[in-house]
Amino acid sequence: MGLQLIPVFFIGEERDMTRRIFSPDIEHKKARWGWVFIFPSLVFFSLFNFYPIFNALYTSLFRKKLLSLKPPEFIGFANYIYLFKSPDFWNSIRATVVFTIGTFIPMVVFSLIFAVFIISRKRFKKFFQMAYYSPAVLSSVVVAAIWLLMFDPRGLSNQFVNFILNTPGVDHKWLANSTMVQISTMLVYFWKYVGYFTIIFLVGLASIPQSIHEAAKMDGVNAWTGFWYITLPLLKPTTILVSIMSMLQCLKTFSTQYLFTQGGAPMGPINVITLNLYNTAIRDHRIGLASAMSIILFCIMLFFTWLQFKGSRSDKVSY
Amino acid sequence: MMLRRLKRKKKTSSQPFIMDMFVWVFLVVAALFILAPFVFMFTASAMPANDIMKMPYRWIPKGFYWQNFWQGIRGNDGSFIYLRNILNSLIVASTVTATTVILSALTGFGLAKYHFKGRYFVFMMILATMMIPFEVIMIPLYLIVTKLGFQNSYPGLITPFLVSAFGIFLMRQYYVTFPDEILDAARIDGASELMIFSKIILPNSVPAIATLAVLTFKSQWDNLLWPLLVAQSEEMKTIPLYIVRFAEEKHTDEGAMMAVAAIASIPILILFFKLSKYFIGGAAVFSVRKG
Repeated sequence: MGLQLIPVFFIGEERDMTRRIFSPDIEHKKARWGWVFIFPSLVFFSLFNFYPIFNALYTSLFRKKLLSLKPPEFIGFANYIYLFKSPDFWNSIRATVVFTIGTFIPMVVFSLIFAVFIISRKRFKKFFQMAYYSPAVLSSVVVAAIWLLMFDPRGLSNQFVNFILNTPGVDHKWLANSTMVQISTMLVYFWKYVGYFTIIFLVGLASIPQSIHEAAKMDGVNAWTGFWYITLPLLKPTTILVSIMSMLQCLKTFSTQYLFTQGGAPMGPINVITLNLYNTAIRDHRIGLASAMSIILFCIMLFFTWLQFKGSRSDKVSY
Repeated sequence: MMLRRLKRKKKTSSQPFIMDMFVWVFLVVAALFILAPFVFMFTASAMPANDIMKMPYRWIPKGFYWQNFWQGIRGNDGSFIYLRNILNSLIVASTVTATTVILSALTGFGLAKYHFKGRYFVFMMILATMMIPFEVIMIPLYLIVTKLGFQNSYPGLITPFLVSAFGIFLMRQYYVTFPDEILDAARIDGASELMIFSKIILPNSVPAIATLAVLTFKSQWDNLLWPLLVAQSEEMKTIPLYIVRFAEEKHTDEGAMMAVAAIASIPILILFFKLSKYFIGGAAVFSVRKG
């Protein structure tokens, strides 16, 4: 579900240019039409977005079972207290944090490198863009299925690593070893989304006026210094945008971990919050507890967004 | 003149030449890495299972082993349920795409071009919902859908995605720059507001609509979590669920698995090659800030 999370802070506000060329009566009629146009969506959002978020908050205060006829019992913050005492939930937080840090940092670094390299080319720009972006098009289940086979003991990943390290016949236990299975999920995610963020960087790079680069060249600035002191500072807004987006994306990873555990990988190391949430709600039917989990996940995401946004308060760049 | 310029270029380019070569090699190697799993999927789908797991992997299949595709479509139980699941995915993804495009365009237009009180507040509220991850509201949504009796049905699969905040944002940003004069001219000529929307606005927003349509279709084609909750019977499952189930089954061999994956990917890859402009444009939406 790709792009549902974009920080609201990034949306610029246009000046409201109210022009009245018709009589007040017609203007009034026009305004009514505005409401008519937005009404269907407004109903939808109230029912399927606003109500659920409050409902999740409310349900998290109850002991509630799915499919149970017993009325839910109000237990205050007991669900949250239970979660904070549960080693299983702490493990999920650990798994999520490890996965997020291990994935989003390489993703930001490599997508930046890819973008800088691609934009410096005169030919094949389009080809590289398409090639790097293409994994993002595949559905995540297909991606997990492909990699599940490549991580097989006899699969391509072992063959490749053994070829590079010159260690024939060694099984690196991509899906069996608890450290390796975490690395495997990171690798899959990195592979799928790095091209997507490369595109965003490319647009950011293209918006830096060419004249700045030319002026720097005239002054005898070499490529490396130019990148470090001119391109990178000007690219700061894009970098922040990409880090927030990729981080939020990583925090809600689900499909890869789900299919890997279904495919026989150990659950513990990759039991991320979303996977835990799904199992708690659907397998164990503990709706109240799962709601508390989802609220905690929401708070974590809000916190990181706020943190990165705070670090970027002065991100207005003028060329 | 020409010669002198060439000469000067040559003199200064000995060190950048190494750098240049390095960048080319880096980009090509990275592209090979990124494309290798695709090649693996398509070649493996045409190989018998014991060829796939042979070391070293043979990148060119000996022939086309069509039994994989037959096995994948037929399923291990011979029920051909995959065809039904593909149909379900098509129905869900196209319905969601259609409603999202129409409702987002309507709402985006309303927010961009009608100056009623509270419209900025409404816009901000809708944007705020973009911050809510689906995972957080999925359980309440599930309870709502169950209450409405939509469980295990097309309405159940479709309703939570009828319109998207992202779509409204995209369309509104597009319409804000649309000249008011044209709309006013149409009004003076006696066009109704609905006519303005359908005859002027819609035909003039094809790029934005195409971007939104492509992204929506893709995200529905990809959707795993929600169908996992709602679709219980095999008849109502979508492609991702079929792949998950097929991967779990004991009799599944690797070739058939990759054939199933290839079948699921071909439509979206064709869409990508035909409409790559809109896919890439969709990714770029966020980095272009106006205002």
